[in-house]
Amino acid sequence: MASPRPDRARTFALACSLAASLASGALAAGCGTTDDRPATLEVVALEVLAPTCGTPQCHSTTTRLEGLAFDTLATARSSLRELGVTGGRGGELLEVLREDGDERMPPDMPMFEQDVALIEKWIAAGAPGL
Amino acid sequence: MRPLAILLAAVLALAVSGAARRADAYPQYQLARDATCTGCHLSPAGGGLLSENGLVVAEQASWLGTNPEALYGAPLPPWLHLGGDVRGAAGAVSNGTPGGAAYPMQAEVSAAAGARGVTVHVTGGLRRPQGEGGSAAHVLWSREHYLMWQQHPDGSEGLYVRAGRFMPVLGLRLAEHVAYTQRFGASPLYGEAYAAAASYVSRALEVHATGFVHDSIASAVEHGDGGALYAEARLGAHAALGAGAKYASSDEVHRTYAGLTGKLYLPGADLLLQAEAQLIHQRLLPGGTVDQLAAYFLATRPLVRAWLLDVGLGHYAQDVSVMGLYRDCVDVNVHWMTTSHLEWLVTTRLELLDGGGGPNGGYALLQVHYRI
Repeated sequence: MASPRPDRARTFALACSLAASLASGALAAGCGTTDDRPATLEVVALEVLAPTCGTPQCHSTTTRLEGLAFDTLATARSSLRELGVTGGRGGELLEVLREDGDERMPPDMPMFEQDVALIEKWIAAGAPGL
Repeated sequence: MRPLAILLAAVLALAVSGAARRADAYPQYQLARDATCTGCHLSPAGGGLLSENGLVVAEQASWLGTNPEALYGAPLPPWLHLGGDVRGAAGAVSNGTPGGAAYPMQAEVSAAAGARGVTVHVTGGLRRPQGEGGSAAHVLWSREHYLMWQQHPDGSEGLYVRAGRFMPVLGLRLAEHVAYTQRFGASPLYGEAYAAAASYVSRALEVHATGFVHDSIASAVEHGDGGALYAEARLGAHAALGAGAKYASSDEVHRTYAGLTGKLYLPGADLLLQAEAQLIHQRLLPGGTVDQLAAYFLATRPLVRAWLLDVGLGHYAQDVSVMGLYRDCVDVNVHWMTTSHLEWLVTTRLELLDGGGGPNGGYALLQVHYRI
């Protein structure tokens, strides 16, 4: 099948859309405000732990490295209990997030400081929902 | 991004545009070849088993051009296609503290059998056992299995209908599952579900509509039930624009994904640009919402014969309402298709939290991909 002639206007429009896709990322990053997320198990589990720790090849329900899963509220609840997290006590969770050596988690990228602070705040509040 | 990251991205972009060129085929070169995913793959979504044309392309694109057929040409009946993938990786990983890593990635066999446009597709292999207390290091499972009807069995365009276990179709569907739009977006690794889908594929337009329910037997990554719709239209000879959405509802969260994709091939520079952005709206149950954004840009260019260079840029805002809660990455991948079956891949990533203002991480891995 013969290829149609390139349409420069359409190509230009598409190049603009590609640029817009990238720019949207920068805009989204710049639109945020200070962190006033509620320190609840739902936010800790589904917003923080699921994308950071519950990745498919690591602590997902499918893979369960070390027997732990953080990709759902239910599995995060049981895994946090297994790590010794209780109201007022961070257990192994905060240890591995704060670790300086090669035991630090996640292995490929540190967790956001704001997320660690949110987890600590939730624990200090008695780990409601656990 | 901070100035250092911008400078690094600019240097990499210059390296891409200034490198020697040679236009061999590769899945990322769909627009360079005026082809569809089904031009090389049996599945209308792309990926997996190669068609006759895909095997020819695999041979042409490789350094040594060995026999590309499954098992190097083992005699198979015409109603049967076989294939498979074995992959592993080793290298260095850093989350602020450098460390080593070596691990198997994939060990799967695929088969498609049928006639007169009706085929059964199965992909199965090894994975880690689920749950605790299991003594086996790995267990057998099937990631994909479905029945497919194809309107034109001898062609690569037209209508496809599938039912079974497979990935709902949305977005660019890059092979690199670590791309932010896949890792954090609607099509994560192991995101297959039990689904029914209708796809229309032609050079000018492709449309995919999928309804799905989660796999409650194998505890899949997709925990919700819902649907996905994706359409992509060719604009001229070397550009395409797509849009899609996915909705998945579980008893914990309702997630809505809305995304745009774009592809632009620049013949003069022999460069393919692909970009995707997804807005992800999550409604947590019993209350609260989170809006996220995942975007990925990939520039791909052939070097000398059988060598390919990718430069990727990713952005992920974990919660767009919170300042500084985002990460960016710069990826550089070098592919060497040594034979029709063997590919070496050096993949590197520099990942920056809060525009580089926080601790950073990354990896440099050598991957080996062997296609059976």
